[in-house]
Amino acid sequence: MSTFSSQVIINDDVKGVKTYVMPTGAKDVVTIYGSMLSGSMHCANTNSKTAALVASMLDKGTKNKDKYEISETLESVGAELSFSSTRYHTNFTGFCLKNNLGTVISLLSEQLMAPSFSSRELSTLQSRVCGNLERDKENTKKLAMIHFLRTLFPKNHPNYQETVNESIDLVNKITKEDLFAFHREQYGLGSLKIAVAGDLNPEDFNKQMLDSIKGWNIKDSSIPKLIEKAHETKEGSETIQVQDKTSSDLYIGQSIGIDREHKDYYALMLGIYILGGNFSARLMQTVRDKQGLTYGIGSSISGVSFGADGYWSIWGTFSPDIIKKGIAATKEQIDLWFNKGVTQEELSAKKTTISGSYKVSMDSTGGLAAKILSNAEQGRELTYLDEYPKIIESISLSEVNSAIKKYVNPNKLYMVSAGTL
Amino acid sequence: MSPKNNKITGYDFVKKSAGIEEYTLRKNNLRVLVLEDHSAPVATFMVTYHVGSRNEAIGYTGSTHLLEHLMFKGSRNFNKDKNTAIWTELQNVGAQINATTWNDRTNYFEVVPREHLDRAIAIEADRMRHAFLRDEDRQPEMTVVRNEFERGENSPFDVLDKNIWATAYQAHPYHHSTIGWRSDIENVSTERLKAFYDTYYWPNNATVTVIGDFKKEEALASINKQFSEHSKSSEPIPPVYTEEPEQEGPRRIIVKRTGQTGIVGIAHKTPKGLHEDTYALQVLGKILADGKTSRLNKLIIDKGLSTSIFMYDFPFLDNGLFIAYAFLTPGTDHKKIEEIILKEYNNILKNGVREEEIKRAQAQIRATVAFSRDGTYAVASALNEAIAIGDWTFYTKFMDNINKVTAEKIKEVIKKYFIEDQSTTGWFVAKEPKD
Repeated sequence: MSTFSSQVIINDDVKGVKTYVMPTGAKDVVTIYGSMLSGSMHCANTNSKTAALVASMLDKGTKNKDKYEISETLESVGAELSFSSTRYHTNFTGFCLKNNLGTVISLLSEQLMAPSFSSRELSTLQSRVCGNLERDKENTKKLAMIHFLRTLFPKNHPNYQETVNESIDLVNKITKEDLFAFHREQYGLGSLKIAVAGDLNPEDFNKQMLDSIKGWNIKDSSIPKLIEKAHETKEGSETIQVQDKTSSDLYIGQSIGIDREHKDYYALMLGIYILGGNFSARLMQTVRDKQGLTYGIGSSISGVSFGADGYWSIWGTFSPDIIKKGIAATKEQIDLWFNKGVTQEELSAKKTTISGSYKVSMDSTGGLAAKILSNAEQGRELTYLDEYPKIIESISLSEVNSAIKKYVNPNKLYMVSAGTL
Repeated sequence: MSPKNNKITGYDFVKKSAGIEEYTLRKNNLRVLVLEDHSAPVATFMVTYHVGSRNEAIGYTGSTHLLEHLMFKGSRNFNKDKNTAIWTELQNVGAQINATTWNDRTNYFEVVPREHLDRAIAIEADRMRHAFLRDEDRQPEMTVVRNEFERGENSPFDVLDKNIWATAYQAHPYHHSTIGWRSDIENVSTERLKAFYDTYYWPNNATVTVIGDFKKEEALASINKQFSEHSKSSEPIPPVYTEEPEQEGPRRIIVKRTGQTGIVGIAHKTPKGLHEDTYALQVLGKILADGKTSRLNKLIIDKGLSTSIFMYDFPFLDNGLFIAYAFLTPGTDHKKIEEIILKEYNNILKNGVREEEIKRAQAQIRATVAFSRDGTYAVASALNEAIAIGDWTFYTKFMDNINKVTAEKIKEVIKKYFIEDQSTTGWFVAKEPKD
């Protein structure tokens, strides 16, 4: 079987943009994933919600087309284009039939390069976004997560989260001028990456895509430097009251002080995966399968990309009546895992899980394009995707157990629960 | 294809549509759908049982779903005692594995690296007739499922949707949601679940779907080898004979809970999924609420009255519901949204829809259908819903039937189904939190 990387055609003929094209056996369909550096961490000159609102306004009209013309163009051929924003990136995704790829490329470029940012559309969008945020006030999982991250990280850290009310205030303060300024300062070639997979000809795609964005301003974009690292997590707990909720959500965890480039990352990631990475991991097998205390519980490492020091956490859902039992059972598993470590058998099983998952994730054009883009955003060569299973395979049991001891402290966990408690 | 290629030992070839072949395993009437797809080194194996929450009644609502959970607790050859538990066996090789239950079906599936397809087949064959279903497993699993129920109850939309179905359908089992009523989840006995299993989990009440990177003959041989140990059910599978009496007036329900914003749902009764009117209703749903150029988007979303709107118009084995749901922005009046939606239905009844609206809806559906072929799981999943409503070629012929929908037909269905006396309207009203 040929390697993954050998099936992807990379093009960087135009300065500031790199395309990754992967023709597959899929019939008629094409999926596009792309991004450029212009997320909320790039909002130094404005409020942090500006990046998200700029991305959401990209389908609300361009200098040459109003939003209905954009939608009509896409919907008349059944295509979809959507824009969103993360901490570091503006992201876009496109789905279309192969015959309509040219239309989608041309529209994508126009929307990215020449948005109109009409005042009326901004006002309607603000009202919708705030409506959704109001709904978050009754979302027990989201509330628990927000409070958990606000405790672990300082305000200027990429993993910090605003409260729902703070977010509403920020969204309402944004003006049309803020949108234009952010777009002018942050959008352009420089960090643009586009991954596309499906039923397409790489040369045709590259010609159309690169022709359509050639000449766009070049920006000297980079990942903003981390100003301040996570607080050292202190033992503590917090309860968020939300009325009339029959289920509650729980977060437990702590900051880890390392990012995913750190030499210990893979060992710690494997250790946390063994604790709660999937259904056959310890937490689901004990707290759910054996004790019946929860519908779902798991653990993961998050917030470790682009140089940020991240955190490990356990999330679980519990009936308010038995959350105390659930917390006790979860803590028992953490202690067991920390004190006795993981076994060779568990490590070997998770290694085969990861290499098999890699194949299964190739099942759709969306899975492929997302995997390629995520790898490119991390600044990695494509060959990393071929090497990943080997990297995982090389991690030893002692490395995993040492990483758990080094980065986890069961006596300094922070815990947030939200619900009718 | 020459008839010779369809001759597979142990099977009768039934038909072929869009590259998918149907066979019947002679030994026990297990239906098998097979499609080779060599795009990626992956295969999806799925078993769809023709049993869902429509086969339940008072006292054991939610049993199909609870049984689905118990099916992961072990079977004769795959269990914790032998160190061959189902989750471990499959997740350790990187498989995606799960099961779902809905009104008309229960499905179990595995997306596996191709070299592990036989393992998925062996597991599904074993638990088809040899699942343990022990009381000591039901007790902890009941609380797991109860927490799943509680999580659903956390969502204002889920609560409103349950209430609309329960109000619209009073006799027919679509009255209750698939998760069931809380007291039934808590109290149904293991014996009842076993009886349910022994009634419905038979090869002649199941369809196996296998899609992906394998040789058809080898996959069919493996299915034959593993599933042929089972006989057909000794009793006929009992049919659901309850029919919903005719509704004789509009119905309304209001759910009040602590929350932040309101929701409006307006439901009208629709025909069985395989009825010819389904296709016009699907196109109508797109015209009304799919995309920014859709009618209700312009009338409601663009005016800042709702954060989102969507049509719930899924085809089921029996009569269903066409529901317009709008999630209100703070301060928007429920009544106002209701009036806008109903006025638009009347507008279509009087003036019809434009040809270009139909063309656009057809293009949207064409792309959706094409993407439902993007990956082995996508195909199996789409087939699963078609199998559930009684004819898997509903999936393969869907686009042809959508292409036949005309403006006249849309006017006809709106006149036929969007009748006030056949409607059920639900509001979720957010109560102020107590201090």
